[in-house]
Amino acid sequence: MIRPGLARACTAMLRRDLTLAWRRRGDIAMPVLYALIVTMLFPFALGPEDTLLQRIAGGVILVTVLLSMLLALDVLFSSDIEDGSLEQLVLAPQPLALMLGMKILAHWITTALPLIVATPLLAAMLHLPAAVIPVLLLALLLATPLLSLFGAVLVALTAGTRRSGMLLALMLLPLCVPAVIFAAGAVAAAQQGLPWLAPIVWLAAALVLAVALGPLACAAALRIALDA
Amino acid sequence: MTVAATATPLLEARALSFHRQDEPVFAPLSFQLTAGELALVEGDNGSGKTTLLRILAGLLHVGGGELLWRGQPMQRDSCAGDILFLGHQLGLKADLTPRENLQIAAGLHGRHPAKTFASVLADIGLRGYEDEPIRRLSAGQKKRAALARLLLLPATLWLLDEPYANLDRVGISLVNRLLETHTAEGGAALVTSHGAVSFHGGEPRHIRMQA
Repeated sequence: MIRPGLARACTAMLRRDLTLAWRRRGDIAMPVLYALIVTMLFPFALGPEDTLLQRIAGGVILVTVLLSMLLALDVLFSSDIEDGSLEQLVLAPQPLALMLGMKILAHWITTALPLIVATPLLAAMLHLPAAVIPVLLLALLLATPLLSLFGAVLVALTAGTRRSGMLLALMLLPLCVPAVIFAAGAVAAAQQGLPWLAPIVWLAAALVLAVALGPLACAAALRIALDA
Repeated sequence: MTVAATATPLLEARALSFHRQDEPVFAPLSFQLTAGELALVEGDNGSGKTTLLRILAGLLHVGGGELLWRGQPMQRDSCAGDILFLGHQLGLKADLTPRENLQIAAGLHGRHPAKTFASVLADIGLRGYEDEPIRRLSAGQKKRAALARLLLLPATLWLLDEPYANLDRVGISLVNRLLETHTAEGGAALVTSHGAVSFHGGEPRHIRMQA
């Protein structure tokens, strides 16, 4: 018999989730469209005044991206629980945390990456200076996986409860406060011409911690969810 | 897979019990299963057949009593990959084809080197449906797509919850044939079923569940 190595199992898992997302590629566009529409509302609500929009642009984009990611988060494990794929995954001779890490990575690629790609467009809509956009993108590249990992742990914890979407939002948003503060801090510092590296490094440190612990917490929570 | 170590049973339960909110789900259960044996789990609706299979698969915690795997207390790491569980939920992705579903299962569990995806799907009766999304298949065909895992993945113990459900007469005899080949090769299987099972590889062991 051929026992698959870790690399092959990880590839199989990643490929499965990316294929599934590709089969339903309409769903990938939804968070991006949502972010575009929300960002578009701000100039309408506040008036097209350049200085005001520039000042709030960084924060608005960060919060919008966060809310857009939240839209797609609650389905992260639910379909796998419903069709029994999760049981099969738990019983596979592979480390569950690593396999869930692959699922979270696939989820980040299909929800957060399109949002990051659309960010320059959002920034242009709010007249954010072009020089600040690289800092904003860097902050998002670090903050969005952090949110995916936080979110995954909470989705795993609320798995099996009814109407978990609302509960998830209430639990996740307070946890996101530090990530939003550091990411927005970096963007604001860059806008004022101040050094912006320190908050970015804090985000990176938090991400390293979340990458190490998030999947383990997910695995434990989902085992408990199946045991109930 | 060899028939070695027949002295120690593959799986042994000693006064196994399980509680849900302090209510026992089934009366303490003791049985042994050696390599090459088939056990039929019998009981009325709600007698805990599915619960028993989920405990044996390691999805539920043992409530009381002992569960031994090859003579050692059963642990997740010692039996991972040696047990194949097929539950009510088939574990198939509806947007993927039978072939893609098998590829994922093989990527996670490994597979018999001699078998190909195409040959396994042909043997299970899904020739011509290999690349059709699962959602477009009938209930019986979905069941067959899930049963294809039995042919492809290497596992000693099969835990099959209602493997005959939704299958036509040809499908039922196919499952019986799978079970006969598996036990003849030194594997073991625990099967829950309401329907009459015809098994030609010797008298199956009966495990009677009482609520």
